[in-house]
Formats: sequence, structure tokens, C-alpha cells
Amino acid sequence: MISVKNLSHIYSNNDKLAINDISFEITKGETFGFLGPSGAGKSTTQGILTGLLKLQKGDVQVAGYDMNKVDNKRFNKIGVSFEQSNVYSKLTAKENLEFYSKLFDVPTRDPEELIKLVGLEGKENDRAGSFSKGMKHRLTFARSMINNPELWFLDEPTTGLDPTIAATIKNIINEQKAKGVTTFLTTHNMYIADELCDRVAFIIDGHIKLIDTPKNLKMQYGKKLVDIEYVDGNEVKKETLKLIDDKDKKRMYEIINNYTIQTMHSKEATLEEIFIQVTGRGLI
Amino acid sequence: MIKKMFIIFGRDFLSSRRDALAIYIIVVPLILAVVIALFAPGLNDTTVNIAMLESDNALHIEYIEQYAKVEVFKNIEEVERRVNKRDEMAGIIPLGDGYEIILQGNEAELIEMYAVMLNSFYDLRLTKEETTATMISFGRTVPPLKAKLTNMLISMTIMLSGMLIAISIVEEKNDDTINAVNVTPISQMGFIIGKSLLGSSVAMISIIGAIFITGFYNVNWVMIVVIGFCSMILSLVIGFLQGINSEDFMEAAAGVKMLMLPIAGSIAGYELLSDKWQWTMYWSPFYWAYKANDLILAQTADWPTILLCTGLVVLSSAIVFILFLPRIRKGLS
Ligand SMILES: Nc1ncnc2c1ncn2[C@@H]1O[C@H](COP(=O)(O)OP(=O)(O)OP(=O)(O)O)[C@@H](O)[C@H]1O
Ligand SMILES: [Mg+2]
Repeated sequence: MISVKNLSHIYSNNDKLAINDISFEITKGETFGFLGPSGAGKSTTQGILTGLLKLQKGDVQVAGYDMNKVDNKRFNKIGVSFEQSNVYSKLTAKENLEFYSKLFDVPTRDPEELIKLVGLEGKENDRAGSFSKGMKHRLTFARSMINNPELWFLDEPTTGLDPTIAATIKNIINEQKAKGVTTFLTTHNMYIADELCDRVAFIIDGHIKLIDTPKNLKMQYGKKLVDIEYVDGNEVKKETLKLIDDKDKKRMYEIINNYTIQTMHSKEATLEEIFIQVTGRGLI
Repeated sequence: MIKKMFIIFGRDFLSSRRDALAIYIIVVPLILAVVIALFAPGLNDTTVNIAMLESDNALHIEYIEQYAKVEVFKNIEEVERRVNKRDEMAGIIPLGDGYEIILQGNEAELIEMYAVMLNSFYDLRLTKEETTATMISFGRTVPPLKAKLTNMLISMTIMLSGMLIAISIVEEKNDDTINAVNVTPISQMGFIIGKSLLGSSVAMISIIGAIFITGFYNVNWVMIVVIGFCSMILSLVIGFLQGINSEDFMEAAAGVKMLMLPIAGSIAGYELLSDKWQWTMYWSPFYWAYKANDLILAQTADWPTILLCTGLVVLSSAIVFILFLPRIRKGLS
């Protein structure tokens, strides 16, 4: 569905490469997670794949279209939800979706049904300008589904939403997945990524560090982690150590020998911890 | 694609109905037209009144009646009394071999000229077919002040339509919705044209409405539409550029208002400069648009002149448009 080869991108007002020689493939029906800290280049990648940013260097095929050629027809197959919500403030929720649906050449979904789906029932006829940030974000998300896309780009679909609504969004993504929709999911939320994604890519400073299934990553990096809480002076400190790493093992002896241990248990690594291990950086 | 352009248009219209500034821009030209109509009363009354003698040659009276409103009187005293009444009226009475024109003294030059001309035409026995062209250009049947005001209103309307476009572009920018439209099947050119429709149609309706309200029913409407449409193009380009370069509505409106300068300059140049210096205004499309409208409103326009003016307006608009198209495209992506 998506094939990216040696893609690089640089913004004209920035001398650092925002994307530096990345390659990956996404197969039909797959949910592909794009994970990385702020400024890693996630939105830039989505921008290129959706054609909003001009392809500068590399080979990119999206839904059977070569991104070097402009063909607006391809958008009939594609849905895009943006990181920053973007709906017309002067139009009501329903008017926003109605307007948008008319721009497509394919059958579209019922605006009211979509509004209901994202939990905005009763707000159909309110102007989007009066919506909270989270509500606008949900409307943007709902809009991305209006043309029954085969390929779906989601840039931070759950950011800024409360956990219940985030769960609703997650369920919607799962339903779409069951229908065979291919999803390119950009997120900071490792739990969502873990649950939804068939494969994830870790991206940092414009490079992809690895691509694998969450399951493989956990097999490889998981299990052998130990959380230790110990008392140092008046403070309780916490460290997470890898049992396979010699340096970490030495550190564990050190702690056991020198401090009072409060708790200590081994656990499965979360995707977030794996990310930190692999990239040496947090996700924020 | 045409259908989608109208969808964009429909949305713009919906938005502008909810925007005070946009509504203001739409209604202001019509209000001003009403003001012009009210403050220049009777100026539409283009008929020239002629008082004649009952005893005059019946053929003569009949001839004059074709071109003026004739009232007949029994004797010269009655004709003189009638002419001396307050309204504009000229008397034509036989005197020896020829005729005498009686005027009150404060009649417009126009009336005098008209009466004289009319009478000479009769002397020459010119038929209507032969004379129409000369008669109109001499007769300037249209009151100049009202035509000038209406023409200025048209120029202003064209500028306002640019402002309307700028406002709707700024709306898209503020809401960041251009990106959303850019991931739908509508092409960028389709979007640009769709976005122009509101400004264009409002301008067209306002121009036609203004001319109608001020009472110039007899103008050549085709010419009005042609020149109106073409002079709008420039305003559209400027509206787009201003919209793209502005952060909020006020900034966009203020930017488009800068157009006032060349517009006012062109009007002043056309009206005040002597023929020898008219060429100094030739660069300005507003000059050509104003000139064309001036001729159309005075009903002295002919197609070659109008097409020349239109061509020059389109040419300068096209130059600006082509020069800035990359900027517009970039700003909308
Ligand atoms: N419009 C722009 N102009 C210049 N530089 C930009 C622009 N947009 C992004 N960048 C730069 O490109 C890099 C990648 O940005 P990008 O928005 O793709 O990151 P991201 O991974 O989506 O981050 P976040 O998680 O904060 O959304 C950053 O270094 C950023 O500063
Ligand atoms: Mg981003």
C-alpha cells in the first residue's frame, strides 16, 4: 500500500534534514505505527505521504500512485486526520462534514452518524468555533473517515483527549482495521501503539532506528527487566535495569550491597521502555 | 470539477453570511447606489422639453416630437411664459425664413445645444437612421454627475469584491483548512476558481444592482458585464495575494483598501488631466475600466473602444496574475 525508499526532506528555513534517508513498506490492511519524540519527523513523513509536502528526494508510492506525479483522484481512497485540528469555525459540525463529503467522487458516510461515532452527539448543529480543542480534534478525526478510505493517515489521533474518549477513538481504529483499512498511525501514545499496531517504526532525528512488531520487540527486550526501588539517605530512588546487560548487572549488585531495597520485581518492558533502550531517548 | 467549484462557492457564501464584515461588503455598494439615486433626483429625466407654436408646420412638430417632448401653444407669449417656468424647457418658434430658439437663460448648455441641433437636423431633413449617432453624442442625454458617481461606485465595488476574497482566504488560513481541502480530489486550480466565485458574483450583482438602482436602465448591459467581469480579475488576484499575506481579517481588508490609491488616482487622472496628459494614466487598468464604464454610462460607447479598454484591463490583470501565480499556489498549499 505504501512503499518508501530513501526518502529525505529538508525545510527551506531549516538547514537540518527533517527526514534523513528513511525506507519502509506498509502492506495492505496493516496498521503501521510511527513512533518518535517531538521533532523526530513524523508529521513531515505523513505530509509527504499525503502529498501536502512536495517530495524532494526518494521514491514514494502511495495506494498505487507515484508521489512524483500529481493526481488528485487518489484522495478518493485516502483519509487524513491532522495533528492540528482544522475545521471551519463558522460552520456547524454537520455543515463541516457535509461540505467535505461533497468534494469526493466516491460514496461517503452519513455526517450525523460520524458525529455520533466520535461522541459529539447533540453537537451537530453547533458551530465548530464554539468547540473545545478536544472536540475539534474529534471532528477532524471523524472527517477523515467520510470517504470510507482504504488508506488512513492518523497524526496523533488521541493526543489531548481524555482517556475515555481516547479509548473510543482506539475502538474506532480497531473497527476500521477489521474492515481491512490500512492505517499509518503517528503517535506518542505507546499503549495505543502497542494495542493497535501490527508493526511499529521508531523514528528519531529523521532516522528510522528499527521496524518490528510490538510482540517481537517485547520478546527481544522484555522479560529481563528489573525495577528496583531503594532508599538512598532520605530519598526513595527507582531504577530499571536490564538483566542481560553487564553494566546493569554490576549496578544491581552495587544497589543491593549498598542500599536498603524497598521493592524489586522483574517485568515485561513496555514499548516506551523499549523505545528508550533502543534510542537512548524518551518519547517526549 | 465545475460542480466542486460551486461547492466551494456555496461554503464561502455560508461562511460570509455569518461574517459581519462580509455582509457589510456585500450590502454597502447597494446602499450607496440608493444614496446616489436619492441625492440626484430627476437626473434620469433625460427627455428634453420643447415648446412650439400650434401654427407651426405640422411636419416640423412631428419631426421634433421624435426626439423630444413637445408641448404646443397658441402664441409666442404663451411659449415664452412656459419657457420661463422653472424647469428645463426650450422654445422653438418660426422667425422669418428660419427659426428662433427661446431659452430662459439658466438652462443647461446641453438643452440649448440639443434644441439647436435638433432644429438644424430638421432643416437638413435628416432621418432618424442617419442622425442617431450624432444626436446622442451631441445630446449627452445622461446627466454627468450621476454617471460619474455611479462609475466610482463600480470601481469601489470591484475593490470590495477583492476584499471579500481576501477575507475568505484568511478564514481558510486561520482555521488551517486549506490542508484538509488539499487532501480531497479537488484540484488546486479548481479550488482557486471556486474561491473566486463569491467575490465575482457579488461584484457582478452589485454592479448590475447599482446601475439599476441609480436608474441607468438603457445602458448596454452586455458591455457592462464584459468590462465588469474583466476588471474584476485584477481585484481577484489582489484579493488572493492579500489573503495569503495577511494574518487576520482586518489586515486583509486594510491591504485591499490600498487599492483605493491607484483607483482614485486613475479616476482623478481621467477626469482632471487634459487630453495631452491622459497617456500618463495608461498604465493603470483602473483607468481603462473607469473610462469604459464612463462611455457605457454616457451611452456613447462603441464596441471597438470597449474591447480595447477590456483588452488592456485583462492584459494588465493577466500580467499580475501570471507574475504572482506561484505565490498564490504556494500560499494555498
Ligand atoms: N514548517 C516547518 N518549517 C521548518 N522546519 C520544520 C517545519 N515543520 C517541521 N520542521 C522541523 O522538522 C523536524 C521534524 O518535524 P515534525 O513536525 O515532522 O516532527 P514530529 O515528529 O511530527 O513532532 P511532534 O511529535 O512534535 O508532532 C523538526 O526538527 C522541526 O523543527
Ligand atoms: Mg507531528
